Amino acid sequence: MSKNNIKNSLKTGSDKDGYFGEYGGIAAGENLMHNLEELKNAFEDAIKDKKFLDEFAYHCKHWIGRPSPIYFAENLTKKIGGAKIYFKQEHLNHTGSHKPTNTLFQVLLAKRMGKKKIICESGAGQHWSAAAATAAKFSLPIIGVMGKIDVERINQNILKAKHYGGKLKVVPGSLREAITAAIKEWSNNPDYYYLIGSTCSSAPFVDIVRYAQSIIGKEMREQFMELEGKLPNEIIACAGAGSNFSGSIHEFLDEPEIKKVVVEAEETAALTNGTKGIMQGMVTKFLQSDDGSKSLGGTSLGAGIMYYGISPQLAHLKDIGAIEASVASDKELLETYKLVAQNEGIGISFEPAAAITEALKRAKGKPKDYIICATCCGRVEKDLDVIEKLIGKDFE
Amino acid sequence: MSNRFNKIFLNTTQKTKLVAYFVACYPSYEKSLEIIKKAIDSGISICELGFPTQEASGEGPIIKKAHDHCLEKNITLKDTLKLAKEVRNYNKNVGIILMGYMSNVFKYPIDKFVKELAEVDADGCLIVDAPHELKEENQLRNALTEKNLSLIKLVAPTTTNERLKIISKFFSGWVYSLNFSGVSGSKSADLKQVEQMIKKIRNLTKLPICSGFGIKTPEEAKEVASSGCDGVVVGSSIVEYIEKNANDKNLTQNVGKLIKSFILELNKQ
Repeated sequence: MSKNNIKNSLKTGSDKDGYFGEYGGIAAGENLMHNLEELKNAFEDAIKDKKFLDEFAYHCKHWIGRPSPIYFAENLTKKIGGAKIYFKQEHLNHTGSHKPTNTLFQVLLAKRMGKKKIICESGAGQHWSAAAATAAKFSLPIIGVMGKIDVERINQNILKAKHYGGKLKVVPGSLREAITAAIKEWSNNPDYYYLIGSTCSSAPFVDIVRYAQSIIGKEMREQFMELEGKLPNEIIACAGAGSNFSGSIHEFLDEPEIKKVVVEAEETAALTNGTKGIMQGMVTKFLQSDDGSKSLGGTSLGAGIMYYGISPQLAHLKDIGAIEASVASDKELLETYKLVAQNEGIGISFEPAAAITEALKRAKGKPKDYIICATCCGRVEKDLDVIEKLIGKDFE
Repeated sequence: MSNRFNKIFLNTTQKTKLVAYFVACYPSYEKSLEIIKKAIDSGISICELGFPTQEASGEGPIIKKAHDHCLEKNITLKDTLKLAKEVRNYNKNVGIILMGYMSNVFKYPIDKFVKELAEVDADGCLIVDAPHELKEENQLRNALTEKNLSLIKLVAPTTTNERLKIISKFFSGWVYSLNFSGVSGSKSADLKQVEQMIKKIRNLTKLPICSGFGIKTPEEAKEVASSGCDGVVVGSSIVEYIEKNANDKNLTQNVGKLIKSFILELNKQ
């Protein structure tokens, strides 16, 4: 969707029917088609409006605290022995993750569309607390839908969202059920704005969320040029559905010399182990039963990377070899958390621990001028209780 | 489209036809077959056999619960096709459509699904999450057309006139007019809105129009029928009845009575 003069650019977004290659599209009921079209038109119109984009940029800077800094993890680099390891510190954003960039963009869009109420889903609760904070700032009522499993294990985000004025609806299950329930709520109330948290579901959601989050990669380019005088050799980020990874790599999609590696939770690695299917409003890779009637996959400590599907754009990019995919286990997440906390004095959440796990593996033995940047998309607060319970003794 | 729909809607003994939705193989394969046979004997014109999926994004809690029950028992689309075959063996005149979500059909995969749909002599299918913009819908629609089967298209109150014109080119069999934009079983239909919808669609097609969503009682069915539609679709209230009385030994007889009470009211117009 962005203007681009490169032939066969990968940065153009989805085609007119919302597909990225053979993935994406709109697999939604007729009752939602008008909403989706209205949203698509509003989005395309908004990103041509300088005033709107200036407003987004203003609040990104002053409310979220962007740009989030890049950080040279010198101690870890020395410890591993190889490439220079950098973190893109998205956890330093307001609300503690990359999520508010998307919620800010979409709440501004909702306001522009004249919407009076917002509904959203959430997995780890990072999107929910960011969405509720944004809705509070712009005085819009908001309803969040979360799965019972996630609500029970993460309470800090839920408490924060409550204090921001968000009303939470709890449904049985996890993120999958939350998305389905939120879409149903939207079907019943087409005048709501549906604020999706990641690069999934029907077009134009994938393009909208990726557009908002692509600021991560844009900042990285400037920051690396300033600090290192060159771009990183590899960019690594974790993915549930993929907004953090998409946002980190979009800027560099037409630069194949930069390796882009996505890391999923081992238990729900749709890109690595999934098959093509149609669920949750989109055509993409899913972990699903052979007959397509059920989703599969276990549970990961990283609630935000526990999703049985993946962004259709990422499914396409993987098929054409533009990105690589890897996985991280719970054990690795815990080990990496500990390493980062003890060596760098940074408390990361389980999700970015997946990306940093992969970064550490890849850094080993690489030349000293080789740069690997891992996006650190969340801070530890939401996971502290679990970490203390599982490995608290290790720190004594 | 199949000739069967033509015959069904040309038949004048019943002015407004009753289309009944069942969650296939619910509460069990045998019981479901028995109930559907009874429903046919009680006067339904078309039966919709819902095949279970975890997705069910358009379904309210009543139908969703029945889907989940079937999934737990590992009921698949294959079982639904088998059920359709037995229903067809029982009655040659009733319309049969399979209803559900793209996920199962895509994985079956599409061509095999259509081939087997033709083999069991069903009349078509209705896929909730398959707008014509979806490439896989085109693939399914083309395959169905080749076998003389219908892909029943939906029109919602939120469908714009411009879009309706486009969709009308893809109508086949009959048109499913949604009475409100929401999930199944959640609210009641608004007669004025239904009338407007039917009128709008009627201007664009000669095919029969069936009105569905929000029809819970025989009286509501009669009211919606007065909008001038050719059929009414009743789903959640039948499924709910089955859900609440799954262990009643008179379940089949009573579903028959429930269907008859709908027919009785529809014939009063």
